[in-house]
Amino acid sequence: MARRTALIVGAGDPATSVAAGLIALGWTVHHLDDDALAWTDTTVADEVGDEPIDLVIHARYPAASRHRAELTTLSADDWHAAADEPLEAAIRLARGAHGPLAATSGTLVFLVPLMASAGGEGFAPFATAAEGARLLAKSLAKTWGGDGIRAHALTLDPAAFLDPADAAGMAEANALHDPPLGRVPDLHDDVAPIIDALTRGETAALTGASLVVDGGLWMPG
Amino acid sequence: MSETPTPRTANLGGLLTGRVAIVTGAGQGVGQGIAEALADAGAAVVIAARRVETGEPVAEGIRERGGDAMCVRCDVGIGADVDDAVAATIERYGRLDVMVHNAVSPPGPPLPIQEIDDDTIAAQIATSTAASFHCARAAFPHLAADDGTLILLTSPAGIEGSGHLPLYGCVKGAQRGLLKSLAREWGPAGVRVNAIAPVAWTPAMDVATAANPTLEARLRGRTPLQRIGEPAADIGPVAVFLASPMARHMTGQTLAVDGGRYLGL
Repeated sequence: MARRTALIVGAGDPATSVAAGLIALGWTVHHLDDDALAWTDTTVADEVGDEPIDLVIHARYPAASRHRAELTTLSADDWHAAADEPLEAAIRLARGAHGPLAATSGTLVFLVPLMASAGGEGFAPFATAAEGARLLAKSLAKTWGGDGIRAHALTLDPAAFLDPADAAGMAEANALHDPPLGRVPDLHDDVAPIIDALTRGETAALTGASLVVDGGLWMPG
Repeated sequence: MSETPTPRTANLGGLLTGRVAIVTGAGQGVGQGIAEALADAGAAVVIAARRVETGEPVAEGIRERGGDAMCVRCDVGIGADVDDAVAATIERYGRLDVMVHNAVSPPGPPLPIQEIDDDTIAAQIATSTAASFHCARAAFPHLAADDGTLILLTSPAGIEGSGHLPLYGCVKGAQRGLLKSLAREWGPAGVRVNAIAPVAWTPAMDVATAANPTLEARLRGRTPLQRIGEPAADIGPVAVFLASPMARHMTGQTLAVDGGRYLGL
């Protein structure tokens, strides 16, 4: 298969480890890791220029989102920084990604934490922004299917986004058992190959999927 | 299937006697229907409306039927407005048991995400996620005082996505992430948080069906109950149920009240 190019958006993990995993699989990766970047419609084009982009991955959740805090302690500015700003940035990313992805019949993937769809005590803003991104993936899949673009969301273990203590608390709150596969998936070795698979012809009939990639810890539906 | 059945208002008397509710966006549509149903169930209802000229007639209608209601002006996108609405409620009634956030900015015409302008994005976020935050934060101390409840109005689009209204699906989904988190966060305080995802006759639905004459028939055809919900008779009683002790062991849930159109898990 020809060398392919991805744009990954988001500082730290899971973006960093997934980027490394895709590079190991032969991808050329642009990693936009500045969460403070003022996001505009031209950001994608500014980053990649005229280079064809086959895959865009959104994992942009600033530190404010990943900070544990009860909702009643938040100011309106806190809420905006942790929930509304990252949600709007995800929408803007999608706006800017449409043209490049339509040109290649590419794929858009949103990485979201488990608490998006399962809720997370102390992480209401994060869950709000991330669940909005997950539903954006479904909506885009419906809208953009005719343009040849596929869109998915991957729900990851909270450990991919949070510090270990907070992640352990999330896992404890959501599961009554240990991961059936005995471990939490590795971002580099497990998650990146799944994303790679979602871009290939073998999965051409799949779009709008919400895949829970957590080793079977949480089995919704 | 025959014509639309005549809406029957459930017998809701007494379920919420002594309780006090705020309903945002209650000047019309689903919000009005919920406000009227809560009042029929015995609750005192505060009509929180961006335009008093639409909210006050709803309050007056409730009072004419023997209920207790007042109208306050409230732009839910402005935190101070929501704080003031809650303060006015406490000043008048001394308590707040039910906060219903229903108001939403009109989603506008169907557009793909790449054609939606900044102002529309900002307005949708302001009335959905930001307003949910304002309502939740302002109401919580009062809800926690006596097993109160927060109810958010979301949409089937927030569960399954929407190809016609992708931004709407996004922000309505975001509200569900919030409600599930608050259900976990506020459960120990005895505060329940749930959502209703309705499909019902609203001013926006009137506009949509007027603009697209085949829409109503298509929607009915894709709905097992083959009709579009009536705000007061179909959506309101579900809000009463969620606000009542009958739902005392339910939190973090989204009830699709749409005639069975959405049948996902």
